[in-house]
Parts: sequence; C-alpha cells; structure tokens
Amino acid sequence: MSSKQAKIVKDGLWFNNPIFVQVLGICSTLAVTNSLLNTLIMTVGVTFSTALSSWTLSLMKGLIPRKVRMIVQVLVISFYVIVIDIVLRAYLPEASKQLGPYVGLIITNCIIMGRAEAFAAANPPWPSFVDGLANGLGYMAVLVGIAVIREFLGFGTLLGMDVAWPGFIPWTIMIMAPSAFFLVALALWGAKSIAARAEAAKKKSATAPAAAR
Amino acid sequence: MKKDSIAYVVLFTFIACVVFVLPLAVANEVTRPLVEANKLFALRSSVLDAFNIGYQTPEDAEAEYSASIRETAELNGSPIAWAATIDGAEYRAVRRSGPGLWGTITVIVAADPLGERVRGLQIVDQIETPGLGGRIGEPWFIEQFREKKVGEQGLRADQSGSGEGELDKESPRVDAIAGASRTSDFFVAIVNGAIADIKAGGGAP
Repeated sequence: MSSKQAKIVKDGLWFNNPIFVQVLGICSTLAVTNSLLNTLIMTVGVTFSTALSSWTLSLMKGLIPRKVRMIVQVLVISFYVIVIDIVLRAYLPEASKQLGPYVGLIITNCIIMGRAEAFAAANPPWPSFVDGLANGLGYMAVLVGIAVIREFLGFGTLLGMDVAWPGFIPWTIMIMAPSAFFLVALALWGAKSIAARAEAAKKKSATAPAAAR
Repeated sequence: MKKDSIAYVVLFTFIACVVFVLPLAVANEVTRPLVEANKLFALRSSVLDAFNIGYQTPEDAEAEYSASIRETAELNGSPIAWAATIDGAEYRAVRRSGPGLWGTITVIVAADPLGERVRGLQIVDQIETPGLGGRIGEPWFIEQFREKKVGEQGLRADQSGSGEGELDKESPRVDAIAGASRTSDFFVAIVNGAIADIKAGGGAP
C-alpha cells in the first residue's frame, strides 16, 4: 500500500472518521445500534455501497454534466443499495425482514454522498474506492462499538445470544434511540480528547528540541 | 457535443438510467422465484406455528402444510383463512391486521370453531419499537396465548402481571409487556378481533 493510500485509510478510520469528525450517518446510528446483528448488516451494506459508488462515480466523473451531478450520484448509490436489497430478500429473508426499511435508507446515508462529493469527484477510481472503504470501515467500527454496549445493556445479549449474568436487569433506556445520542456524544468526547492529547504531545515534542537549542 | 448542452445532459441522463436500471430489473426478475418462495415459506410456517404443528426443516414444513392444512378463503390470491383437523379436533385460523403503536400488526390466530379456546398464534408482520413493543414477537409472550381460554369479553392484557407470561390457561388475562402497554393493548385487540372472525365462521370450509 502506498503512503497516499495509507493516509486515506488512516483518515477514514480515525483522523477524518465519518462519525467522530464529519458527524455524518447519525440517523442510522440511532436507528439500528440496539441490535449488533442489524448493525453489522447495515454497516457492511454502507461500506460496500460507499466503496463501489465512489469508485463508479470517480470512473464517470469526466462524463457527468455538472447540472445533473447529484442526480447521477443518487442513481449510482441507489443501484448498489438495491443490489444489497435484492440479495438480502432472496438469500437472507430473515435479515431482510428485520432490517425492513433501513436497507433502502442506506441511499440517504450522508456518508456515501459526502465521500462522492468530497473525494471521488476529484480523485482517481482506485483511491476513491479505498477512501469509500476506509470511511465505511470507520463508520462500522464506531457503530459496532455502540451496538455492543446497547445490545448488552439493553437486552443482556450479543448477536442474540444470552451473555448476561443471572439476575441481570436490562437497561430499557439503552434500547431506545436517545441512548445512542448519549453514547455517540461520549464516543465523540473520548475521540476528540485523545486527538487533542496527541496533538499537544506532538507540539511539545516539536518545540522541545528548539528550546534545548 | 458540449457537456453542458441540454442535448448532452438529456442523452447522458437517459443512458445512465438505462445502464443502471436494466441490470437491477434483470436481477429482480432472476431472484423473483426465490423471493416468492421465501414469502410463501414465511406464511406457511406461520400458519403451522399458529396451529401448533411442529416441523424440522423447510421441506418438512411444506409436507406438513400440504398434509394437514386446508386453505378456506383467500384475498387477492393470498390465503387469509385456514382449517385443520388435529388429533380428531377441528380448528380454524384467520389472518387479521390492525393498528399497532407505529404501524400495522398482522397476526394469524388459530382457535376452535366456537372461538372458546385459542390454539395458538403467530405474528406475520409488525414494526413496533425493538426491545419494547417489538417484544410481542418473543416466545414467552406468544406462548401465553397457546391453549388459552377466551372469556366472554375476549382476552385482556394485564399491566399488573409479572411480565414473564400468564401461565394459567383458564384465565383470559395475558401479561402485558412492561413499558409497552399500548402495543400490548393493540395486540390483544387484534387477537380478539381474529377470535370474533372465527366465531363468525372465518376459516370454515
């Protein structure tokens, strides 16, 4: 992997994480993270759609007229999301039933169009694919973390399997959407604090040799 | 042709739509039999569950359905009422929909032809809050209705129960879901409606 691609991956996963930094995709974070299984299916779908739609739109960028740029973006994103929907309905009917309208709503996930506009529109296809993939994985990492906490505390289960101790009392609030707000806020706070501390340490180490001189 | 000219925009949009929509239409057609089969299996397994007829595999379910269940009424080509003879006793089942807290709840309810005792029920569709109203799909909640005696006023959801399921089969009360009393009430109203349908001859051959 070249250093440019490594930077794209690091940005998607941490430095420009879609949840921590771009604050995108929050609606789906609230909607699906009370079930780890639904979160995994949803985030795999978003990762797949973001990577492939960024790649496709980057390939087409020289041909797309500016006037219909966003219509074409929605068309391409919808194409990949409907592919996911067809596959789920045909081969994973239970998952399709559980996710219901959420799969279709991947089309409106801001991360996909955000990456198409911010990156794929100005970069070659392969880096655009890597950028979409890294952002999807960054989104997945945060949502899976939140889903583990919500499903465990809300139901006492993980992936539907009972993992709580006898007498465990589920926290009903964790099942409801507001708990995702609290957890996203805590995750943002934690990530920003770590980033700020790392930045301060970097500045300190940069100024220390100068002071020593 | 200039990229910003009307002709180019129209032509490009048309070609892009064809290129992206055509493969989806093909994929939809190719997977249609599988999707229809999944829907049919979901419906038939729900009917078997409502009648409390066990099965191990999808093939087993198909065989049991063909051998034991008679479709007695249909709407728009889809069955909505069934009859079955189990251990010499006659039972009826109907499909009934009604409002939930967030959307329509659809259930299949099986009972004796007089509607005096529920044989069982199964939820076909619901979009209640996961973890709250959505718990109507949990086995402990569904199991409460199995072999339940129906009172003169039908069944009723009780908010003061243990929240673990009313096991007294001679009592018309069922435990409501803690934190989802509205959904519990809606659900029991739909079940009572289905029992009224059966009493009125729903499911009769």
